[in-house]
Amino acid sequence: MSELTSARILGDLEEILRDFHGREYSGAFGLETRFFADLGLASIDAVVLGEMLEGRYGQRLPFGDLMATLGSREDRDLKIGEFVEFLETHLAGPKGRG
Amino acid sequence: MPFTTLNGRKYHYQQTGSGPDIVLIHGVTGDLSIWFLCRAMQILSVSYRVTAYDLKGHGYSDAPAEGYTSADHVEDLFALMDHLGVESASMVGHSFGGVIAAHAAVVAPERVRSLVLSDPYFPALRHLEDLSRWGHWEAFRQEAEEAGVTLSDEHWYDVGKFFDQVVHLDGEKLLMFRRAVGLPALGRLIRLGKTTCGDDTKVEAGLTEEKIAGIRAPALAVYGENSPFLATSDYLVEHLVDCRAEIVAGAKHRAPEENPEGFLRVLMDFYGLENVESAGARNQDDSGKVIKV
Repeated sequence: MSELTSARILGDLEEILRDFHGREYSGAFGLETRFFADLGLASIDAVVLGEMLEGRYGQRLPFGDLMATLGSREDRDLKIGEFVEFLETHLAGPKGRG
Repeated sequence: MPFTTLNGRKYHYQQTGSGPDIVLIHGVTGDLSIWFLCRAMQILSVSYRVTAYDLKGHGYSDAPAEGYTSADHVEDLFALMDHLGVESASMVGHSFGGVIAAHAAVVAPERVRSLVLSDPYFPALRHLEDLSRWGHWEAFRQEAEEAGVTLSDEHWYDVGKFFDQVVHLDGEKLLMFRRAVGLPALGRLIRLGKTTCGDDTKVEAGLTEEKIAGIRAPALAVYGENSPFLATSDYLVEHLVDCRAEIVAGAKHRAPEENPEGFLRVLMDFYGLENVESAGARNQDDSGKVIKV
């Protein structure tokens, strides 16, 4: 099993979000891409994405806390880079899907 | 992703925690993510089993063409509770979700242990409300106008008229509206605008003033400091058998979004969770942050 590097997490996110529940996204995708403004997703999509990622990586993740952070700050958008950092922090390396 | 089929339609729900049941019901045009954004889902689940779901026509649930009165939603609610083995629950409903929760308490009082009614406006109590009490009405109307939608004093409560305009926006007005609310919200509104939801939210559907006043479940009316519906709050406190009110500082109609910390503290107090701070609840002041959705 390999470590879940930020590059790999970014790749996983791109694979999922390029065609998220039938909504295709063909624009640029990187750490600066914004979840809501660029990808056109909404907070309910974040809930569903969180659940998908828990299934993919095989462990519970505190997505609720991430959501709450969004709910309490002025800029409610989320950069993919922040999301990658969140996942990297909370994923227990080799426990990933490998 | 938890889905279930109720009455032939797909419903999306989330459930977490263990203990006595609490069901969270969002309002029209919202979805269950509101309960994550204000941390209700995370904090209440420390001591309760918490279920939140997307109402029909909302979030990841199906959007049939009709069946959006509070009575219709109560049928769905009880079907979901049956499916999940929830015999009775405390209900937290925001806006029209509060109407659904109250209607559930009328239809089957034995299934509703208590109620938290967050800024509901009841069709049967429309006569109580006076726009002139809503200091932010003109600003709200101006924002809507700039987004290509016209609201009038006469039809301020009419969600159906609002949806009808959204569905038929085109050209520059459509662009204005999309810029104001964002693409996802536009998509949701157009999907909902093609159903009877707007008109259905205007009708009593059996939830008459007499039945509202007869609710016996312990209730908490939670209203924003600048809510347009404060007359309804007063009415609930005066007429329900057991109802008190709490005001969320700085909030208008959407306290869970406009002051999530203040709203959560009210919920924690109601559910006896004052000491959950150590489990992760942040302790911030009542600054009444206004967050644009």
